[in-house]
Amino acid sequence: MATLDISVRAPRTFVRGTLRRNLALAALVALLAFLTAYPMAMLIYGSLHTTPPGEAGAFSLDGYRAMLSRANGLVLLNTIGLSLVKTGLSMALALFLAWIVARTDTPHRDLLEVLITLPFYIPPILTAMAWGMLATPKGGLLNLAWTGLTGQREPLINIYSYGGVVWHMMQYSTPFLFLLMVGAFKSMDPALEESSRMSGASAWTTFRRVTLGLMLPVTTSAFILSFIRGVESFESALVFGTPAGIEVITTEIYHLIHHVNRPDYPQATALALGIMVLMFGLVIWQWRLLGGRSFFTVTGKGYTPRVSRLGPWRWATFGFCVFFFVVTVVLPVGQLIVGSFFKFFGFYRTSMLTFDHYRAVWDNRLVWRALGNTLLLGLLGATATMVLGGLVAYVLVRTRFAVRRVLEVLAWLPWMMPGMVLGVGFLWAYALLPGPIQLYGTLWALLVAYVTLGTPLAVRTMSGAFAQLAYDLEECSRVHGAAWWTTFRRILLALAWPSFAVGFILIFFVILRELSASILLYSVGNEVLAVVVMRLWTEGKAGQVSVIALVMLALVFLFRFAERRLVRTHLGRS
Amino acid sequence: MLNRRAVLRLVALAALSRARPAAAQAPGDAEWKKVIEAAKKEGKVVVYNGAVGTPALPKAGAAFEARYGIRFELLEARASELRERIRTEQAAGKVLGDVSHNGSTTTALQLAENTFQPYGALPNGARPIAPFKADGTRVPIYVIPYGILVNTELVKPGEEPKSWKDVLDPRWKGKILSDDLRALGGGAVLFMVTTQHFGKEFNDKLAEQQPHMNRDLRGNYPRVARGEYPLYLPFTLPDILELKGLPVKAIKPVEGAPYVRFDGALFKGAPHPNAGRLLLDFFLSDEGQLAYGSLGFVMTVGGLESKVPAEARAVAQTSLLGTTDPKLQDEMLKLARQIYK
Repeated sequence: MATLDISVRAPRTFVRGTLRRNLALAALVALLAFLTAYPMAMLIYGSLHTTPPGEAGAFSLDGYRAMLSRANGLVLLNTIGLSLVKTGLSMALALFLAWIVARTDTPHRDLLEVLITLPFYIPPILTAMAWGMLATPKGGLLNLAWTGLTGQREPLINIYSYGGVVWHMMQYSTPFLFLLMVGAFKSMDPALEESSRMSGASAWTTFRRVTLGLMLPVTTSAFILSFIRGVESFESALVFGTPAGIEVITTEIYHLIHHVNRPDYPQATALALGIMVLMFGLVIWQWRLLGGRSFFTVTGKGYTPRVSRLGPWRWATFGFCVFFFVVTVVLPVGQLIVGSFFKFFGFYRTSMLTFDHYRAVWDNRLVWRALGNTLLLGLLGATATMVLGGLVAYVLVRTRFAVRRVLEVLAWLPWMMPGMVLGVGFLWAYALLPGPIQLYGTLWALLVAYVTLGTPLAVRTMSGAFAQLAYDLEECSRVHGAAWWTTFRRILLALAWPSFAVGFILIFFVILRELSASILLYSVGNEVLAVVVMRLWTEGKAGQVSVIALVMLALVFLFRFAERRLVRTHLGRS
Repeated sequence: MLNRRAVLRLVALAALSRARPAAAQAPGDAEWKKVIEAAKKEGKVVVYNGAVGTPALPKAGAAFEARYGIRFELLEARASELRERIRTEQAAGKVLGDVSHNGSTTTALQLAENTFQPYGALPNGARPIAPFKADGTRVPIYVIPYGILVNTELVKPGEEPKSWKDVLDPRWKGKILSDDLRALGGGAVLFMVTTQHFGKEFNDKLAEQQPHMNRDLRGNYPRVARGEYPLYLPFTLPDILELKGLPVKAIKPVEGAPYVRFDGALFKGAPHPNAGRLLLDFFLSDEGQLAYGSLGFVMTVGGLESKVPAEARAVAQTSLLGTTDPKLQDEMLKLARQIYK
């Protein structure tokens, strides 16, 4: 790595202050503070007060005292262990898949890239339902096939176990990590790797020390994002962990809020804030790791990413990708497709064949209203978040403004907080917002919450991309008389477009699936799809939920292919 | 001509009507007409519903809309989420909800937190039959009774559990699927009622049966029907009407059904108080009650059984064992966590 540690600093043009620039920076800080610090401040108040905001009570440290119990310590260790195992395995798998797709001559890579990312877009509750049917020890289809084929009496897989929880979480984290890293693999000038090989380094050493080394900003960001998300993961632990006695921090918080007579907000928020402080340790570790180094892989010179010729092994890598797709998508989604045509989910008898679920969804006005609201919020929210994230990332990565650390901390906050607690923070913040602005009870409350929730992802995605762009590109543009905004738009955003598109899609689908904040902020007429799905699910309408999930998957296909077409056209023009 | 017994009955009724609290007194026609007119002017009523996905409430709402031309709007979330929403709305002075439709335990807790306002006199206010009663703030709307679901292919008729205590038979060890007995909901109802009626030993022994607990409620029915587990408890008895065609059967244990009552109440600061009051009254009308009764739920107003389809009537004809006590809830949840580790 030492050979790459060139001390490069942002050009002076980016740090010279003007009143306009300072005002713009102040506006950016104020906006982020409203989005992230304000709800967080409400939660801190909630953790330090015997009653929630707006109710008479007294300040107290009882929540923190209750938090510091041995039982919570054990649950925390369990949570961290679970997330480490999950993130480590997913990271290895995602790196391998990204390398196959971006840097080898494996056939049909374009198609594979889309297929590998599909599991991310399927609502977790549906894959949980599908895996419950596939891998339950008593009567799971895979276990029945195993015992039938081998004559064994013991089932092969028990999804209600530690391994089951890890596996279910990996189905989301692997494509998520893949999406974050594949772009960086692609936009890498092969000259650096070629130099390493010419200097006598082996292929493995080159991959480890140059390829992975140059991707350090992206891989560490992705690792941290995924690890933190693992700590805050809820559905997998609730569905597969609780029956096996596996408790994690989020199920404990869920218990404190939903399973007691009077929700214990002081302890729940104290627990969530405690986790946040611990997670910040990771971010600081990343700052120290990356501080002062350069990771430029995109310079003013033209290049084509180097592709390894695998010979006949390219079919083995192709087979591996297809296997991943079959296990993570075909098996669970196959269940959803088949299940959507039968009266009862999991009862595949010809007498029960029906189109009723499709008809019911088609005739359900609420579904269409929610779909319209969700698409509007998804498009607006993802666009606004990516623009905001791009601006924040620019300041973080490409300037030396002192305020950038403040921006970074503010941008990280929502990612550190479990969704169900942050949702309460949004409710308190928006409903108790002083002044004439009425946010609570409107569609805009959801939009603001979604932008807040998506900002960390947008900033990480764009930071990784910007960190790879050499300053000479920007300087050239400025030297030729382009204004800052033109340079930002036509040089930086244009070159970081693949990351922008990936970030947009990730956030769009985060919005599509978001429930914790939505359930506390939606109002009549402003329903969103996740809330309607939750209602149908609770009502036992698994068939209708499957139909909606299939519509969402169709949307994914549409978006992914449109995005790839756009990227290709755009990059071709560039 | 009135005979002596009829006269005595009239006198008794008159005395009773004088003794009733104000809330149970019927308003005069003119007064109620004014309420209806004001409700129509308000134009809509917003209900916060904690029974997420219940088909009965939209049915009752549609009937209400058809009768009064007042828009019925529904906002659904878990009981704890609704409770925090309305608390925050009231603290901020931005109340959006009018009527609460929630379990009696949550409603009692909210009552203690001063969440509701008295609804005044209702024409149907005196209709609920014992043990149910409208108390001026809360209206008892319907009851969900719980029993046991069995897989008929795995459990022969002679082997079916007939009593709650039958599930403690060693033959069911490891074969019981259950709602989480440590969490608010049907599981907590079963835990509290069985503890109160059969003692702590019942749940000690049930824990030894190693029930497979989760919170997937209706997702558990197909698991029993597929034969993954032969028994599920506590089963929401009216749901059996939705499972026709599957190899399952609902069992009503001989001791009776633990139950949860759903109450309606008018939020303090409700933006449409007259429409809310009208809806609370409608819940106790024949039409309102039949929306629930026709789906197998136990109605709180008597004398309507003959108007309910036979199938639903058969489900609803259940002796009730008992329900939860809000004052004991925390203690019981704590005990459940100790027993079912």
